[in-house]
Amino acid sequence: MDVMTAIKGRRSVRSFTDQPVDKEMLLKLLEAAVWAPSAGNSQTWRFVIVTEEAMMKKIKMVSPGLLGNPPAVIVIAHDMALAKHKGGQMGAETLTKMDSAMAAQNIMLAAHAMGLGTCAIGSFHPGAAAKLLGMPEHIVPHLMVTVGHPAVKPPPSKRLFKEVYWFEAYHG
Amino acid sequence: MDNKVFEDKIFGLVSYVVVSARNLLEEPARYGPFRLVDTASRLINILEEAGISSDRLKAVRDRIEAGKYSAMGTEEEFEQFLETTVFSVVDAMDNTGG
Repeated sequence: MDVMTAIKGRRSVRSFTDQPVDKEMLLKLLEAAVWAPSAGNSQTWRFVIVTEEAMMKKIKMVSPGLLGNPPAVIVIAHDMALAKHKGGQMGAETLTKMDSAMAAQNIMLAAHAMGLGTCAIGSFHPGAAAKLLGMPEHIVPHLMVTVGHPAVKPPPSKRLFKEVYWFEAYHG
Repeated sequence: MDNKVFEDKIFGLVSYVVVSARNLLEEPARYGPFRLVDTASRLINILEEAGISSDRLKAVRDRIEAGKYSAMGTEEEFEQFLETTVFSVVDAMDNTGG
């Protein structure tokens, strides 16, 4: 699948079949994640993959944005101590969030190309999720990506295009 | 459904509501109404699994499930969904036998 097809075909999937996602597929998604750009090549991201039912149930309890019954969730966290050491305050407070988003997009596009559905989840309690996942204080979760075999393919939402760009200077 | 399973499902719902309350302090405003109708739907599901159901509760749940993701659409779509859901509840108020 070419990149533009993957970009335009990806949807936020919130309804999954009961079929589990193979570990090899999940590892492929993580490989895609770590090939994302990161600020100053800092690579301070850390990933926890949840697939077991008992942990999934607990994670769902502290993640109101995690809808449906995905068989896997990739939690994207950052080593904030390392991020601050490498990137200063801006690195820790801002750039790690950008890095999380770029890693998440890689995951979602790769998943779509593999026939999987995903949804980026920002609505969860970071402290509660970190505690459940056994993360020490300096490892902070930023984003989750649900992964599974899609039960439905949502229609695309309308995209603004000509209204949102200008060449050379802003003319809005 | 035995009491332990029922309590566990209610605990999950309580957790969803409590964490939502905290997160909504900083989340987009429309997530609030979304969480409320989603909670209603989840509650109806739990009651149904526990053997408590009615046509009107199912109708409300089905309407919510069909329209709740309009929260990700335009403000008008979401408002229209909530508005029609309110009036469907009003219409069902005297329908206690169903």
